[in-house]
Amino acid sequence: MKRYDLITPEGTRDLLFSDCIARRAVEEKLAGIFKGFGYSEVVTPGIEFFDLFSGSSRNFRQENMYKLTDSKGRLIVLRPDSTIPIARLASTRLKYAKLPLRLYYNQSVYQNNSLLKGHSDETVQSGIELIGGVNTKRADYEALSMAAQSLSEFDNENFRLEIGHIGYFKELVAKLDVDEGVQEEIRFLISAKNYPALNDLLDKVGSNQVTNALKQLPRLFGGVEVFEKAAEIYTDDKITGILYNLKEVYNRLLNLGYEGRISVDLGIVSHTDYYTGIVFKGYLSEVGQSVLKGGRYDKLLGEFGNDCPAVGFGINVDDVARHIEKIGGAPRLKTADAVVYGEKGYVVEAVAYAQKLVREGLTVENSLFNTAEESEEYARTKGIKKLIIVGEDVKELEL
Amino acid sequence: MNKPLRIALTKGRLEKDTVGLLEKIGYDCTAVREKGRKLILPVPDGNLEVVLAKANDVITYVEHGVCDIGVVGKDTIMEMQGKFFELCDLGFGRCRFALAAKKGSKFYGGYNVKTIATKYPNITRNYFESKGMDVEIVKIEGSVELAPLLELADGIVDIVETGTTLKENGLEVIEDIVPVSARLIVNMVSMKLRQQEIESFVELVEKAL
Repeated sequence: MKRYDLITPEGTRDLLFSDCIARRAVEEKLAGIFKGFGYSEVVTPGIEFFDLFSGSSRNFRQENMYKLTDSKGRLIVLRPDSTIPIARLASTRLKYAKLPLRLYYNQSVYQNNSLLKGHSDETVQSGIELIGGVNTKRADYEALSMAAQSLSEFDNENFRLEIGHIGYFKELVAKLDVDEGVQEEIRFLISAKNYPALNDLLDKVGSNQVTNALKQLPRLFGGVEVFEKAAEIYTDDKITGILYNLKEVYNRLLNLGYEGRISVDLGIVSHTDYYTGIVFKGYLSEVGQSVLKGGRYDKLLGEFGNDCPAVGFGINVDDVARHIEKIGGAPRLKTADAVVYGEKGYVVEAVAYAQKLVREGLTVENSLFNTAEESEEYARTKGIKKLIIVGEDVKELEL
Repeated sequence: MNKPLRIALTKGRLEKDTVGLLEKIGYDCTAVREKGRKLILPVPDGNLEVVLAKANDVITYVEHGVCDIGVVGKDTIMEMQGKFFELCDLGFGRCRFALAAKKGSKFYGGYNVKTIATKYPNITRNYFESKGMDVEIVKIEGSVELAPLLELADGIVDIVETGTTLKENGLEVIEDIVPVSARLIVNMVSMKLRQQEIESFVELVEKAL
């Protein structure tokens, strides 16, 4: 029988040294920002019931979830997302807590990706959920400015935060006399910016102002000019209101000092039954997919019997870590300051001396060799600049 | 100057057609035409860099963002799927997917589960799923037409251009599945971070079509 005891499962990997340092650096920076804004950390279970992620607006595809059963034969999945468990938590144990709730998380999510395409099945995500709030505009603004700040920490010059509003698409598509299947097809083609196929499909639906507007929708991305274009293409009271508010948010973010790094895409139309308002995505130049995703989801908590608005975002920590490693922004792997070697009979004293140095803030390695010469050679190979020999007295050798 | 836009071309016929298109736009593609064994080639006056790859790899490279743009057949896109923007139909490389079987055989007759040979198992699965029909799919790497002749399969799902190969081997098209042609795809992040360069490139391409 073939044994799989030397490799890790497809889509997973061991993280060593500098990879770990980069990841922790990202996690710590993000946690620092989140805590600074008064967010408290929560941890949800790695496994949850399958039902949590299926039905209503929570349609995770079953083929993409890792599944197992519990002792009663109930279907369990490895958490594919953190927002939904947190919505559950906020609607149960925190149901009567004073609003708003400011929660953050830093945990792995699991997705069974198609094999051999170079995507991870296990990724660490860090993010916030801002639940409740009398004035949801203020909440949107808080979440967006935190998203921008988070990205700017890792690549201030070259990050990109892109905002949109799911309402623009929803309002337009609701005016079409087509069934849900066609609506979904239109949505998919817009999200893939598949201009030719979208045109063909909408030509079949009919030629009017709405189909014309939907045809333009995937092209409505870029800078401030998008608002004008969008208003030219279609106007009614609701859409004008949506565009007005979005433009206000856009301008405010620019005023925060993020000029040139904030853009608009009205063609962000993923998870349309989940998001209810503003949606946003973040990009870094060295990562081929978005590293940050977020938006307003005012219906999700209601599905858990706790009707309450919410906004949040999640950041793919692994992707950000890879980015800072590539652009040289990750902290360096630190070698020890000294090797401490105890002569025969002074083994315990050597460890005690090492402890003293550690307390003083140095990084030291305790030598496991039998001679000072071997210890010295070891220190030289590892690039450690000092050898400390503990015997009757303590000798320090600069290498 | 900015780093060049990297464009991945599917080796073979699509590559020739795309190079033709680039030349029509006015780019100097000498380096690509005289490529030898090189796989990454400059198109200096367009600030482009051409990468030559197999169809499936074009999608992988674009999806990961190591190439900004790709030219690949709709057949490969349907089979591989993936996340990227599909901006235009280039119009060349036209053919179609079809279901074919031995001439005179009644493919939909009888109650036995049909066996289908194909190079495109995902497309085949989706097609028969949409019909609510259970089939057994056998993946074949080379000439798929052989499978029904050797009686391994009842039918095949494959790309048909003229239908000559089918005819010469005593097969006929039962039904067309979907038309196919070359597409221009773009990485989702490149599209946003290099919007102007990509949009003006796409504009040039669309004008030259």
